[in-house]
Amino acid sequence: MAEEILLVGRGLTKRYGGVTALADVDIELRAGEVLGLVGPNGAGKTTLVDLISGAQTATAGELTLRGARLTGPASRRARAGLARTFQYPQLALELNVRENLLLGRAARRHATLWQMIAGVFVGMVRPRMAADDEFVRAIADELGLGGLEREAGDLTLGEQRLVEVGRALGQDPLVLLLDEPFAGSDARGVAGIAEVIHTVRRRGHAVILVDHNVDLVARLVDRIMLLNQGRVVFDGDPGACLSSPQMQRVYFGSGADDDEAGDESAGAEVQGVRS
Amino acid sequence: MSAENLRPRPAPARWDLRRVPGIGGLFLGSLAAALIMFWVGSDGYRQTLVTSAVTYALIALGMYVPYLMAGSLSMAYSAYAGIGGYAVGLVSTRTGLPLAVAWLVGPIVAALVAVLLGLVTRRLSGFFLAAVTLLFGMAFSAFLIDAEPVSGGSGGLGNLRPLNLFGWTPSHYQVVLGSVVVVCVIAFLLDRLRLSPWGVIVRTMRDAPRAVEAAGVRVPVLNLVALALGAAIAAVGGALFTYSAGSITPDTFTLNIVFLAIFMPLIGGAGTPWGAVAGAVLAVELTLNFPAFQASGTLLLALGVLVIMLLAPRGVLGYADRLRVRTWALLRKEPHGG
Repeated sequence: MAEEILLVGRGLTKRYGGVTALADVDIELRAGEVLGLVGPNGAGKTTLVDLISGAQTATAGELTLRGARLTGPASRRARAGLARTFQYPQLALELNVRENLLLGRAARRHATLWQMIAGVFVGMVRPRMAADDEFVRAIADELGLGGLEREAGDLTLGEQRLVEVGRALGQDPLVLLLDEPFAGSDARGVAGIAEVIHTVRRRGHAVILVDHNVDLVARLVDRIMLLNQGRVVFDGDPGACLSSPQMQRVYFGSGADDDEAGDESAGAEVQGVRS
Repeated sequence: MSAENLRPRPAPARWDLRRVPGIGGLFLGSLAAALIMFWVGSDGYRQTLVTSAVTYALIALGMYVPYLMAGSLSMAYSAYAGIGGYAVGLVSTRTGLPLAVAWLVGPIVAALVAVLLGLVTRRLSGFFLAAVTLLFGMAFSAFLIDAEPVSGGSGGLGNLRPLNLFGWTPSHYQVVLGSVVVVCVIAFLLDRLRLSPWGVIVRTMRDAPRAVEAAGVRVPVLNLVALALGAAIAAVGGALFTYSAGSITPDTFTLNIVFLAIFMPLIGGAGTPWGAVAGAVLAVELTLNFPAFQASGTLLLALGVLVIMLLAPRGVLGYADRLRVRTWALLRKEPHGG
């Protein structure tokens, strides 16, 4: 199967005043591919996700999705086929799990101004549709998530992340960006998220998975990009990445350019690599 | 009331009345409205009270959408109600058009003004949005006083025509009854809207606008739609009041009403639009119809808000719902206990 290239980023750069968070990063993502994005704190992982999703605007560089240029606010990119989760879960805490999971599907029906206006009247006439409930239930089953009428604010952090991942899956994205989805998750949560990654891959779409836990990421992805201080220092096979000199340098800090920001977490991750 | 809607339920079967979203609120709301109308009878003063409550309720319902659902506190609602009122006044005194035209034009103009004001203030939120929209409300009433050729100046517009629907002129009681029905219908529709996909997106916008944007909905645009809807509802309130009172002046809808309207959902319960209605009824009762303290009604209301916030943080309806749930739990337990 000749895998189509879904997402291409060239020369992605983000500077905040004098600080360069991301410097000239190239990224390529094929259909059905799962890409792991690892690196210490401050390496630029979330910045890269933000530049792709449109949450921040790039200082330089350009992006294409299936050959079409990807520009504008996050909402336009979402309609083009991107979905993402956040490092700090962005859920409506007073809404229940079912409603939070419905957001992605509901958003698709309210994309234009006219749909937003019509949605007022449609919503008054038909507030709840059986098809929506079934859709949400299917996602919840896939995630292994019960208690759909619980308020999102009552969930554990791990469950909130699971809901967020499910919400993003509900957008049926071409490219799913997961920003540290495993933080605070238990084994069941990890299994649920792994299942979602599998589903997206099976649909022939792609996933970018950001996480600190290199060991866990390596087991789930086809390819790893290692970022350090805003630059890509390794891009290739997960197994090769774990034993690469770049990995040693970034996480053991044996090189001359050891990072200051990521020392604390790097220690934890080194253990993950060794075990 | 609306807690029934939050319970899990299977996909709705066709025409099972109990499974119609918002039907519980509508039932209880209509029941309360019927009792109130029975209490009113032919008493003119009580009819005026109900008219006031209806107006408060519609302004509070208008604010419910942008403030409690979308999370942006716009305070220009005295102006929106005024636009609705002056639409009735102007159509009645300056044109020969049927009054029904005013009921349409008022809300539409208010919605357009809300969109313009929303565009200008789109970078503001929280306190700054509240302050700027408050200024707009004050500027609007100053404009009404100055624009004497159009608005009749500080004297306003009086001697308005009565409604004439194909030769039928409703009595004052019928007008009050009709207004109450309008409130019930709008509260019911908003309750359904709250539960709908549109409501889900708008309510998510309040806590997690980044998530809404990332899902593909342009947040500032949807915010404008919510503001327009709220303004249109408040304009209906202004129109109803003006029609019942038979006149309108720049002082009819003041900032005082806006401040009261902010409290009403807190008193009644912010979980459902019916809370805003219940709050409006309580506000009118406390400020206008409390025999012993008529002069200090507003103070009494302020104290009432504090007491309710302490005892029932979810408002009167939220408290009633909790009692209902507990009572049910007790009733269910009894057979096991005995």
